[in-house]
Amino acid sequence: MDAFTFKRATSVDDAVATAKVGADAKFLAGGQTLLPVMKQRLAAPSDLISLSRIADLTGVTIDGGTISIGAMTRHADVAAHAGIKAALPALAVLAGGIADPHVRNRGTIGGSLANNDPAADYPAAVLGLGATVVTDRRRVAADAFFQGMFTTALAPGELITRIEFPVPDKAGYIKFPHPASRYALVGVMVSGSQGAVRVAVTGAGACVFRVPAMEQALARSFSADALTGIAISHDDLTSDRAGSAAYRAHLVTVLAKRAVTRALEPRS
Amino acid sequence: MIASISGLARFGKSQVRVEDQRFLTGQGQYIDDINWPNQTFGAFVRSPHAHARVTSMDTSAAQAMPGVHLIVTGAEWAAQKFGPLPCRSPSKVNRDGTPFIEPPRHCLAHDTVRYVGEPVALVVAATAAEARNAADAVHVEYDALASVTDRALALDGNAPQLWPEAPHNLCLDFEQGNRAAVEAAFAAATHVIRLDVGNNRLTAVPMEPRGAIAGYDKATGQYTLLNCSQNIHANRDLMAQMLKIPKEKLHHLAPDIGGGFGGKNSVYSEPLVMLYAAQKLGRPIKWIADRTEAFLTDTHGRDQESNVALALDADGKFLALHTTTIGNVGAACGTMGPFTPTGGSARTQGSVYAIPAILYSSKAVFTNTPQTDPYRGAGRPEAVFHIERIVEFAARTLKIDPVELRRRNLIKAAQMPYTSGIGLAIDCGDFPAVMERVITMSDRPGYAARAAASRAHGLRRGYAVTPYLECSGGAPHEEASLAFKTDGKVVLSVGTHSTGMGHETALAQIVADRLGIDLHRIAFRQADTAATKIGGGHGGSRGIEVGGSAALKAADAVIDKARGLAAHLLNSRADDMAFEAGMLKDNKTGQTVTIDAVITAAGDQSRLPAGMSMGALDTMVHFERENFTVPNGAHACEVEVDPETGVIKVDGFWCVDDFGSVINPMLADGQVMGGIVQGLGQALMEEIVYDPETGQPLTASLLEYALPRADHVPRMHIAFFEGAPTKRNPLGAKGSGEAGCCGATPVIVNAVLDALNEYGVHHIEMPLTSEKVWLAIRSARPT
Repeated sequence: MDAFTFKRATSVDDAVATAKVGADAKFLAGGQTLLPVMKQRLAAPSDLISLSRIADLTGVTIDGGTISIGAMTRHADVAAHAGIKAALPALAVLAGGIADPHVRNRGTIGGSLANNDPAADYPAAVLGLGATVVTDRRRVAADAFFQGMFTTALAPGELITRIEFPVPDKAGYIKFPHPASRYALVGVMVSGSQGAVRVAVTGAGACVFRVPAMEQALARSFSADALTGIAISHDDLTSDRAGSAAYRAHLVTVLAKRAVTRALEPRS
Repeated sequence: MIASISGLARFGKSQVRVEDQRFLTGQGQYIDDINWPNQTFGAFVRSPHAHARVTSMDTSAAQAMPGVHLIVTGAEWAAQKFGPLPCRSPSKVNRDGTPFIEPPRHCLAHDTVRYVGEPVALVVAATAAEARNAADAVHVEYDALASVTDRALALDGNAPQLWPEAPHNLCLDFEQGNRAAVEAAFAAATHVIRLDVGNNRLTAVPMEPRGAIAGYDKATGQYTLLNCSQNIHANRDLMAQMLKIPKEKLHHLAPDIGGGFGGKNSVYSEPLVMLYAAQKLGRPIKWIADRTEAFLTDTHGRDQESNVALALDADGKFLALHTTTIGNVGAACGTMGPFTPTGGSARTQGSVYAIPAILYSSKAVFTNTPQTDPYRGAGRPEAVFHIERIVEFAARTLKIDPVELRRRNLIKAAQMPYTSGIGLAIDCGDFPAVMERVITMSDRPGYAARAAASRAHGLRRGYAVTPYLECSGGAPHEEASLAFKTDGKVVLSVGTHSTGMGHETALAQIVADRLGIDLHRIAFRQADTAATKIGGGHGGSRGIEVGGSAALKAADAVIDKARGLAAHLLNSRADDMAFEAGMLKDNKTGQTVTIDAVITAAGDQSRLPAGMSMGALDTMVHFERENFTVPNGAHACEVEVDPETGVIKVDGFWCVDDFGSVINPMLADGQVMGGIVQGLGQALMEEIVYDPETGQPLTASLLEYALPRADHVPRMHIAFFEGAPTKRNPLGAKGSGEAGCCGATPVIVNAVLDALNEYGVHHIEMPLTSEKVWLAIRSARPT
């Protein structure tokens, strides 16, 4: 790991202002990807600006039909949150299935989204639930936020402050973990509300994506059977040792059906 | 069954490990917990190429960096003319009688690198970070060469050649068995069944990576190496020979070790270069491998491919077995070199079956990969996999029930002792009884309902039973000593080596029970060339059968001495003194004295007879095993396969093991469980893979190399068959350490293929990843 300057921001304004000073400053929002990458010398930021002491960035509020999660809220806290478990269990399940307990107790939702790893779980939640990413300067709809592999709509120095999830009538998330890393080889989030169905897939391609053919079929009939025979093309999907593009494409359909079944299960 | 041993009240009972308090409260002392005064830190510069010529090395920038004390390059190492790393393979003669090829493997590569991660220089600095930074600043120019990492491709005449002295990259062309008898049996057989099976390349991934602290005392010329090694004495001898110093001048010792599994058996480059550098610098040097270094440079295991041919008569009786193997030894010979794929895999060919004629032919080849060397089982799991896959495949092909086919061919108890078709002398065992017991345990009557329940959930259930047989190994000699301290402690020193498996408890149990003293009085000392003159270390499941036997012998020697002293205390004759359960008794007078009282007296000069001095009970004994033991058993397993995704769940596991007399069932359970989990890893997920074009490792981190996790592991039902204790050691014990992975790997694969039988899928190469299973189902049933 190369040397860097550690700074602790006291507020969102302070964090954003501090980031402008460093030659190549990075926000430290859990560090569960950034720190290992720095240890391997694949990243060498000049400054790390810790967000951990900014109280405004942490916590969950549920107001009517919206769950608002502070960017620095840890995965374990989302997984264990009674309000989320009651209103949107698929999100709690997703958060509880990220990596391992160590990562879940350090990693944050904002950090994960800003990184936009192609195999991360949270992008499927944000896109599959039609969430809004709120930053220090604007609101970005999920459909505009994820732009490509490790690439988002965030401008340099722009800081995610919270994520607003509309609560759907039903939702389900199924993840097929990579056998070693436990990232999603494929993960599918399905949600349905009056007239609005979303199917978002992570892990299978370079960036989380929606599957319009499945959404249309589910809008007609929200059932696993509605997806029978709907295969996605594997042309643009990832192919690696853990799974060929063809296998990933196959899994998308299998997991989407299972996610629908999960979404329709009565809540306990 | 252990009637010859008196007073063993706790022998054979589960005993919580005495070392656990230390380990579970963070008091264990591993290399990284230990620091020596005036210590510096080392970091290695390693080859980024699978095969390249080193054209130049510039250390000037690194030398000028903060904290840097010393840089040792491959060129400097070569100039010292130290010996190459030695190969001690027991198999080293080609089938034509010529010797095998042992190329010189130097600790630091000088002119050519032959695998990614091969060390080319050592940088020593004031801190670990400074050493790492400077190592990254050493500028090495390479001229890349074509590489080959695949064992079969390496034999091809067009493959890149690693060593001029090894045409076709062939290290050893090995054969064992009766070729004429096998050929005759195949010619006369009704059925000949053939199958190609691979044994995937594995790495041990011990929780604690390798590391060492090397020091040198200028005043005495004494080297000291604190080393994360499981083979202290033998490696001390080899390292002293390489450094051209008397072995007494190298004090080699290990602290607590966080797992070995064979991966810490070998002599490695790093500690040797550190010893040289410590002598040159005059300060101790510490180095701890990071996880990437562990993946790149730890010795790997398995990496074989075999064609297995089984000849049967019309009744399904086995007539002959011929296994033909290609095994990958890596870039040069490791400490055991080509042994594992040759002699190591030969000795248990045929396993528990009565097969009159067996032939094992094997080619060990060099490739641009790190050395392979023993990994839990070192050839015996491969041999069980060969026979259990071909038997299962033969049963499917000939439409005979797989269990029934096995029943017809097991060696019977009445045939013991039995010399197998490959020449293994099996002294005892009841293989049919063991297999029938595991079948009973596995609730066959309830299977139909479980299979139906799986099917109702869209899953397919499968079942298999596979017996296994292995033979223990490792060094036959061992030393044990007992020293009685004035504070009441009894120091037990042995040359065997626990790397976490619990010798501190099990060996102490043997001594405590034999002497009739409290277990907690025994202080355990191991892995130190200053504690015992010789030591066989860890390996070949030898800990209890050799180390335990030595400990027992030491306790018996103490009792003999105690008889004499007790006679003096009681005014009796030593010949009249009997010992039982911690009490010495004069058979004529009925007078008694406890062993405790005798131990106390031995520490008080005033109570000793003339000519006897304090410490008279202190004892050092030497034990030599007369022959290997033959642990055996049978595993049964149920799996569920999701045909939509190819995902496998191991849903039930039962095993019966014949380890002879079991000292501590709880520890034996632990050995079996760990072995089963490693066997599951090989069967379903673990595999070291190299890019075929560049030779770059593709699985050099835990993000890519899949290890079993708790949620992969079924509840394991373990029972011990104790009806056939061996007479080959005084404990009656057979090694338990490697048994689990001998049985688990084939039984899991066979159970999966049982589940896939309805699809017509009868073979899948390991690891059985979900995509491979899915593809096999799809290709059997095109959609």
